[in-house]
Amino acid sequence: MLFHTPQFFAFFLVVLALFYSLPRSASRWILLAASYFFYMCWNAKFVLLIIALTAIDYTAAMWMRRLPTGGKRKAALAMSLAANIGFLGFFKYYNFLAGNLAWALARPFDAFALHIILPMGISFHTFQSMSYVIDVYRGEQEVITDVVDYALYIAFFPQLVAGPIVRARHFFADLYHWRAPGAREILRGTLLVVFGLLKKLAIADQFARIADAFFRDPAAHPGYLAAWSGVIAFSLQIFFDFSGYTDMAIGLAQILGFHFPENFRRPYLARSITEFWRRWHISLSTWLRDYLYIPLGGNRHGRWQTYRNLLLTMLLGGLWHGASWNFVIWGGYHGALLSVERLLGIRERKRWSFLDPLRVALTFALASISWVFFRAATLHDSLYILRRLFSGPHGHILWWHWQLWFVLAVLVLAVLEESRGWFERLPDAPAWVYASAIAVFLFCLELIGFTGRAVPFVYFQF
Amino acid sequence: MALVNGRFSVPARLGLALLFFFALDALAFRTGWYVSILEPNSTAGFLETYLNIEKQRPTGRYRQVLTVGDSRMGLKTRIANVLTGSTGCSFGTISVPGTTPRCWYYMLRDVDPDCDRYAAILVPLDSFDDRSWENQADRELDINYLTPLLRVGDLPRFVLSYPSWPNRAHAAGAVLCKGLAYQHDFQAFLEHPRTRLEYVRLQEAHAREWYYNAVWERHNLAGMSVDWKTKTVALPDWLEPGKRREIEHELLDDPPPDSAEFARYRRQWLGAILDRYRGSRTRFIFFRLPRGPVVRPDPPPPDPSSTVREFAAAGRIILLPADTFDSLERPELFGDALHVNEEGGYQFSMMLAGEVSRVLASAPGAR
Repeated sequence: MLFHTPQFFAFFLVVLALFYSLPRSASRWILLAASYFFYMCWNAKFVLLIIALTAIDYTAAMWMRRLPTGGKRKAALAMSLAANIGFLGFFKYYNFLAGNLAWALARPFDAFALHIILPMGISFHTFQSMSYVIDVYRGEQEVITDVVDYALYIAFFPQLVAGPIVRARHFFADLYHWRAPGAREILRGTLLVVFGLLKKLAIADQFARIADAFFRDPAAHPGYLAAWSGVIAFSLQIFFDFSGYTDMAIGLAQILGFHFPENFRRPYLARSITEFWRRWHISLSTWLRDYLYIPLGGNRHGRWQTYRNLLLTMLLGGLWHGASWNFVIWGGYHGALLSVERLLGIRERKRWSFLDPLRVALTFALASISWVFFRAATLHDSLYILRRLFSGPHGHILWWHWQLWFVLAVLVLAVLEESRGWFERLPDAPAWVYASAIAVFLFCLELIGFTGRAVPFVYFQF
Repeated sequence: MALVNGRFSVPARLGLALLFFFALDALAFRTGWYVSILEPNSTAGFLETYLNIEKQRPTGRYRQVLTVGDSRMGLKTRIANVLTGSTGCSFGTISVPGTTPRCWYYMLRDVDPDCDRYAAILVPLDSFDDRSWENQADRELDINYLTPLLRVGDLPRFVLSYPSWPNRAHAAGAVLCKGLAYQHDFQAFLEHPRTRLEYVRLQEAHAREWYYNAVWERHNLAGMSVDWKTKTVALPDWLEPGKRREIEHELLDDPPPDSAEFARYRRQWLGAILDRYRGSRTRFIFFRLPRGPVVRPDPPPPDPSSTVREFAAAGRIILLPADTFDSLERPELFGDALHVNEEGGYQFSMMLAGEVSRVLASAPGAR
C-alpha cells in the first residue's frame, strides 16, 4: 500500500474518521493498529520483527530506568544496540559480507548467500529505536513506560517505511501534549500531501522513465549529452521521489496532529556539498552527526581527526543506504568532498553573491556524479558511466523539450521559494489563492502525473 | 480537529480548490479546443474525425440515411450515393472499427442531438441471436473512444454500465476528469507539438476525401474451400499466417455461446438508442451482415426471443430478413475471415441502398 495509491487514501480516510470520532483514550490504539495493518499490507510476517525490536528496546530502556548508573546500564544499551544492528546487519548486509568472503576465498559469489527479503523500512525504524535508547542512556530522554506509546513511536505509519527519522523527544511531546490540529494546520497538511503527490507522480516518475532507460543499458545511449541527461534525470527522480514522500508523510502526520521535522530544504540550490548535506535528508544527516560524528570526536581533535571522522561518518552513511561497494564509494566520495571543502575553508554563507549560481551548478554536478554510484547496478557500470560523462561523442539529450522547460519552471519556482518562502505562506493566503494553488497542483497531476503501474518510492528499498 | 478557525475554513477552501480544478479541466477539455487537436490516429481522435465528417456532410433534399457499426459494416457511401437519384437516399456513415452499441448511443447523440436529422439509421449485426464470446459490457476500449462525448450528466448511466470496479473507476475518470483521460495524448502532443498541429490541419482539410474515397482490400479469397469432415481449410497462398488462423478459428471452432450478459447489454444500449428516438420519424433498420467467405453448414438454431427479434416483434425496428445478404457470402467478396473486400463492399453497398430505399418507400409514416 504505497502513499500514492487510491488504496492508501481510502485507508487514511478510515483511520482519520476513527481517530477523530472515537474517544481520545482509544486514539493511540487506533494509530498503532493502523500502523501495523499498513505494514502488514506489504508483508504480514515482518510485523513480528518490528514487534520484537520494539519489545527489546522497550525492555532495555525500562532496565536502564532501574539502573541509573553502572555496567548493567551499559549492558542494557549494548543489548539493545546489538539487537538493532544485528537485525539490520543480517537482513541488509549478510549477503554483501558473504559475497565478499566468497570472493576472498575464491569461491563462487553466491557460495554462502541466503535468500533474504529486506524488511521494508528497517534502516529507518532501527535508527529511530537506537536514537531513543542512546538518548535514554545519556539521560537526555525520559523512559517511556507505556509500551503502546513506545510501539506507536516505532511503527507510526506516516514515517514507518521511509522516514523522516523522528527523535523520541519530538514525537512524545506531540503525543503527550496532543491537541487537535487547527484549520490552518489541516490546510498546510493537505497542501503538503497534494504537493508531495505532484512531486512524486508528475516529476519523479516522469524522470524515472528516462533514468531507468539510461541506467538499464547505458551503452545503448551513446554520447556525453545522453549520459549527463540520464544521470540528471536520476538526480531529479531521487530528489522529487524522496522529498515528495517526505512531504506527504509530514502532511499526513500534521492532519493527525503530529509534527515531523523538515527533511529537505531545496538541496539542489546548495552552494557547496557541506550546505547540500544541511539541506538533503536532514533527519539522517543530523542523526549521523549526533550519534556518529560527534561521538567519534567531531571536529574537536584537530584537522586530520576531523577529516577522518567526516570520512567514517559518510562511509557508514553510504552503507546505511545499501549493502554494496557502490554505496561505500558514494559515501566515501561525499566524505572526501566534505573534507576538501573544510580544507579549503568553504563555509555556508547566508548572503548570496553573483558567483553563487556557478557554485550551485558545480555542487549540483558533483552531487549528480555521486548519484551514478547510487543508481548504477554494478561498480563496473558506474565507472563506465563516469567515463561516458567526460568523453566520447556528444550524442543527444534523452529528455523531451517540454521536460526541459518544465524543469526550468520548477527551478524558477524553487529560487523564488528560497527567497520569498511563498509555499509556507500559502495556508495563510486568501482562500482563493490557496484554492488556486491546490487546483493548479491537481491539474498538473492530472496532465503529467504518471498513471501507469505504481512506481515504488526509491527510499522504500532502504 | 477544528475545521473552521478564524479566517481559516477547511471545507470552504478545499471546496473552492475542487471547483477551480474542475473549472480548469473544463476550460481546457470541455470547450472543444483540445478535442480539435487530438491525435487523429488515437481512438478518440479517430472517432472524432468520423463524427466531424458526418456533422459537416451537407444534407440536400434527399432522405438522410446513417449507418452505425464497426469495421465489419461493408457500406461504401461513395457507391451507395451513386444511386441517390434512384433510391432517393443520401448515405452517411459513422461506422467506426471497434465500436459497440454503447458507443453508437453516444455517437448518435452527438451527430443528431435533436433526433430529427435522419430518415433511417441502419444497424448492422453479426447475428440476430445474442451470441458472443466477449462480455462487451466491460469493454474498456469504449471509454477511450467516448471520452470527448461524455458529459457530467452521463456519470451514473455510463459508469454503472461497466460491471467491474476498475473499469467503473476508469469510466468515472473519463467523465469527470477529462485531463486524466487525455493524459497520454497531451504528453504526446507536448513531445511533438508542431508535427501534431500540422497533421491535424491536414486531417481537417482532407479527411472527408480520404475516408470517402478509401479503397479497401483488393485481394480476395477465391479458391478457398473447407472440408467439414476432416476440418481442414484450403486457403489462397497470398494469405498471411495470422489471417489464416483467424479464418480457421472462425470456421472450425465452436460458435459463440448464447450469452445472457450479451443479451442484457444489447437490450440496454440498443434499447437506449431506440428510446431516444421514440416519437421521432426516424426508422431503425437492423440487418445481418454477410457472415463470412464460407458459412458453416450447421449453424446454431435461431433464438426467437433474442433481443433484436423482440424489438422487431414490438414494432420498434424494421428487421430485414436474415438471409438478405447471404448471396454475398462468397470467398471472392471477402479479404479475410470477417471483412468484405473492395468488390464485396461495392456489391453490398448497392444491395443495401436498394433494400433501404424499398423498405422506406413501403414503411408507413417514413419521411
